[in-house]
Amino acid sequence: MTTHGDSATRSGAPAVAARTGPPDAAEEPPATTGDDSLPGALSGLRAAIGATRYPLALPSAASARHTASALTDQLDDYLLPRLARLDAPLLVVVGGSTGAGKSTLVNSLVKARVSAAGVLRPTTRSPVLVCNPADASWFRQGDLLPGLTRTTEPSDDPRSLHLVTAPALPPGLAFLDAPDIDSVVDANRALASQLLAAADLWLFVTTAARYADAVPWELLRSARARGAVIAMVLDRVPAEASDEIAAHLAEMLAAQDLGRAPLFVLPETWVDGQGLLPEGVTAALSDWFARLAADADARAAVVRQTLDGALAALHPAVEELADAADEQVTAADGLDERVRAAYRGAERTVEQGLQDGRLLRGEVLARWQEFVGTGEFFRTLEARIGRLRDRVVAAVTGRPAPAAELRNAIESQLITLLRGVASEAAESAYTGWKAHPAGADLLEPGLAYPSDDLPERAERMVRDWQRAVLELVRVEGGDKRFVARTAAYAVNATGLAVMIAVFASTAFIPTGLELATGAGTTVAAQAVLQAIFGDQAVRTLAAKARVDLVARVRTLLDAEADRFLARTTEARPAEAAGDALRRAAGRVELARHRSGLATGDGLPVGDEEGSR
Amino acid sequence: MTNIAGRVREAFRGDQRVDPDALIARLDAVRRFLTAVDGLLPDAELVPAHTLVERAGTRLALSRDHTVVALAGATGSGKSSLFNALAQLELSPVGVRRPTTGVTHACVWGPLEGANRLLDWTGVLPRHRFVRESALDGDDETALHGLILLDLPDFDSVQRSHRLEVDRLLGLVDQVVWVVDPQKYADRVIHDSYLREFHRHRDVTVVVLNQADRLSPTELPRVLDDLRRLLDSDGLTGVPLLATTAIDPAGMVGLRAALERTVAERQAALRRLAGDVDSVVAGLDELVGSARPAGGPDDTAVGALNRALAGTAGVPAVTEAVEKAYRHRAGAATGWPLVRGWRRLRPDPLRRLHLPGPSGDKADPAESLVAATSVPDPTAAQRSALGLAIRAVADRAAADLPAAWPAAVTSAARSRLGDLPDALDQTIAGTDLGLGRRPLWWRIVGGVQWLVTLAAVVGLGWLVLGYALRALGLPALDNPMVGQVPLPTLLLLGGLLAGLLVAALTRPVVRWAARRARSRAEQRLTAQVARVGEEYVLAPVRIVLASYAQARDALRDAARR
Repeated sequence: MTTHGDSATRSGAPAVAARTGPPDAAEEPPATTGDDSLPGALSGLRAAIGATRYPLALPSAASARHTASALTDQLDDYLLPRLARLDAPLLVVVGGSTGAGKSTLVNSLVKARVSAAGVLRPTTRSPVLVCNPADASWFRQGDLLPGLTRTTEPSDDPRSLHLVTAPALPPGLAFLDAPDIDSVVDANRALASQLLAAADLWLFVTTAARYADAVPWELLRSARARGAVIAMVLDRVPAEASDEIAAHLAEMLAAQDLGRAPLFVLPETWVDGQGLLPEGVTAALSDWFARLAADADARAAVVRQTLDGALAALHPAVEELADAADEQVTAADGLDERVRAAYRGAERTVEQGLQDGRLLRGEVLARWQEFVGTGEFFRTLEARIGRLRDRVVAAVTGRPAPAAELRNAIESQLITLLRGVASEAAESAYTGWKAHPAGADLLEPGLAYPSDDLPERAERMVRDWQRAVLELVRVEGGDKRFVARTAAYAVNATGLAVMIAVFASTAFIPTGLELATGAGTTVAAQAVLQAIFGDQAVRTLAAKARVDLVARVRTLLDAEADRFLARTTEARPAEAAGDALRRAAGRVELARHRSGLATGDGLPVGDEEGSR
Repeated sequence: MTNIAGRVREAFRGDQRVDPDALIARLDAVRRFLTAVDGLLPDAELVPAHTLVERAGTRLALSRDHTVVALAGATGSGKSSLFNALAQLELSPVGVRRPTTGVTHACVWGPLEGANRLLDWTGVLPRHRFVRESALDGDDETALHGLILLDLPDFDSVQRSHRLEVDRLLGLVDQVVWVVDPQKYADRVIHDSYLREFHRHRDVTVVVLNQADRLSPTELPRVLDDLRRLLDSDGLTGVPLLATTAIDPAGMVGLRAALERTVAERQAALRRLAGDVDSVVAGLDELVGSARPAGGPDDTAVGALNRALAGTAGVPAVTEAVEKAYRHRAGAATGWPLVRGWRRLRPDPLRRLHLPGPSGDKADPAESLVAATSVPDPTAAQRSALGLAIRAVADRAAADLPAAWPAAVTSAARSRLGDLPDALDQTIAGTDLGLGRRPLWWRIVGGVQWLVTLAAVVGLGWLVLGYALRALGLPALDNPMVGQVPLPTLLLLGGLLAGLLVAALTRPVVRWAARRARSRAEQRLTAQVARVGEEYVLAPVRIVLASYAQARDALRDAARR
């Protein structure tokens, strides 16, 4: 049944295993008919699981990452190799608490000291696999549990697998002595769960002192969910309490829906000189295994049941992963939305500031009044004289000429406004993220403030806008009549006046408050402008300039928001990851139903009575 | 070597007695810390401190002559067997079914009366309380007089309620005896969830390896060494480690002696609380850090804040109005009387802002009661500037503080932001702008103007009179001559000329004085606005900084052993 030539062509890669499906099917028609798509579906699922990431620190992400790595391990360690070789020897993994006597039990079953036993906890740190010499080649070639290095020497390295052959063990059956599940050594626990996931049959060892511990029961529940075939050993039972404890444990097993698992009770006793339990103690267990080894059908049924259970358990587990992946996408969207809302608010504030002309008041107004009041306006309109005079004034007084001051005032007001809204938006986005577990994880303190170069970028933006407004005036002046009417005025001063108009009210109707604060001069300026350009032209100019400014502000704020959004983009999983997982799991489920694995009846039950 | 040194040090420390007064002072310091940070730091991080203060207060108020010792351990380790062996009575049920003990049992050495309130506090039900009355046994139990021994449920079985009960009681008892056995001594749950958490309570921790009879004499020392190694890695260096056997009285001697020593010292409760204070203080350490509290908001930031506040309050608009109003009013008082009336047609700039008008001008009283001014609303840019300035003040003030505090400082700086516009408005309305009084020189110049105008009028009248007399053929008036010019003509022309001259000469003076009035008003307004900033922004910040300083001092006191 074991053909080495066949297995030599397999490198263990899932895709290759999928292609070697048909030859197996040809050799053993009943077991693997219609199975050809199952390894393929599993490889697809493995790829989908491997491709999905859970970078956002959501409550579900840690468990999803854990599940994903456990599933990947199980696919590589067990499902793919086992599907490729349904006739390989049955692997019994002996698992349980520290100090339960797992190693002693394995030694006694194979009648040789293959695994070190002792009083120091935890005793076993590196797994030991015992098999008949005839089966050794299968385990040595490393399709099963490919991540563990095979050794022939005992070691303490948790990533190695110590292979031992024992002639006393019948062929077709192998024992794996796993490390404990509940000691202080964390590596042991991880390794034990990985090994148990690769078991055809769990031999779960507990003791009279331990059988109600919480940790093993969690593991048993997960095993039941996975449909694994389990046999229980209750070890180290004081002779006088044997019946009471066995009854209690059977009750607990039944309550957990594990009543079908055979239960073997071994009394607390002294080991012999070789460190083995007396023969009489383990007789029932040895007999049970001997019968299992002798009966190829029963073994195949166990393999199929565990395999089918493991495959069936994939679907809910993958569903959980898919949900977690969807949750990641939703959370990333939610985080993005918080940032966008904050920066939308900032944009609205700027737009409102421009809309009702309030920016004009205060300093801008003062400068404008100075500008108009001193007759500067009309003089600067004649560009040359104006420029000359500007220079003279600047040279004499050391102060910039009023026209320059006016432009500076607009600039500084706009920049203050932009800095203010960017600061508020950054803070509100920061607070929004901080309240979200995934968001808090992505934050760094600098994000609570606008970027360092914001003032410079805002200045450049305002200057660009001013240039664009001047350009706009020039373009609008393309009309000949228009040019004739504006000929007397410098384009420079006109552009400035348009900027003022942008900040003033849209309809050029001064509000009562503006009149009260002496904004009448603005109205006068507008009257001048309208005389120069004509009413409609000024409106168009002002509207265009404002739209341009708003667009520029939006670009600036978008760049600020991108500091946040880049982080979610980086962390965001692919939109369709959840669906891809679900599809892959669905294909596996379909292939499983077609494969007809679940026809076997499972364990030879009824030995329970004999075991007592 | 370090291990031995550590043990020696531990041995010395173990002998140190905890002074009750010092402990109470430390607890008081924790309480002061909690008062100082109340409402400023997230409550979740203060829960252990609150629990400690409450528990310690209760424990110290209860009997200090009793020592509450708990036997804690995994299921099947033989806690109840030990309990019964110590009490020499079958008090707690022992069995093979796991988990056996679901409720806490207590045994009191000595009279029950004194211990009852303590047991009420720990929540042990009266029907599970037993008395070990020494009168029955003679003298051999008097050494344990004052001991309250608790048999806790397990913490590792499928019964989750047991674990909750254990977690609750472990927070209350004075000393814990951890019971482990050869099978379970390396279990993760014992070490990670329990022993490691007690590394600050080494003084009140004893570990016993029970069921030592199940190991052969050669194996026992190896297991004890291994257990000692695990305990060291849990941070429990130097705690007493004993091997016990419940089935053999000789196997209990060590534990009994340890308990007798504990009871005799009457120190366990104090040591336990001292350990609690240590761990609470260590947990709070990062909330306070070692940074020295800053003196307060720095001057640059405050300057920027005041400028932003002035902008928001409309100070530039008001000072501008003050200058104009000064010119307006001075013009009204000192202008050429013949054209003075024109000014009446123009409104007073200050009154347009609903600020106090000219002193004599008591308009209708209703208006003066309305405090709100019509100073223009702040622009979006001014609001932004104010927001930035407040944030800068808070950031600078909190720059040196540990991570938990800047948020508190910022929210304190903004706590009264909503009241700020109204307060600023009130301040602007209430500030004396210095225009209330008419300067003396206005009156003098005004008088001169009236005088010269009067002279011109007199001259005009005189001339008209002379003209009329001549026209009517009446004898002409004999005009006195000043030099070559008749007096009436001189009066008329001189008066007119002098009036114009005075007006022209006064104008630059008025302009200069108006500028002075403007800068005076600006100074006053800025000072008043700064006062508002101090009250509404800086004072709350200072309060938080003071709280930080208090919290830091309190925690330093609490850390002092």
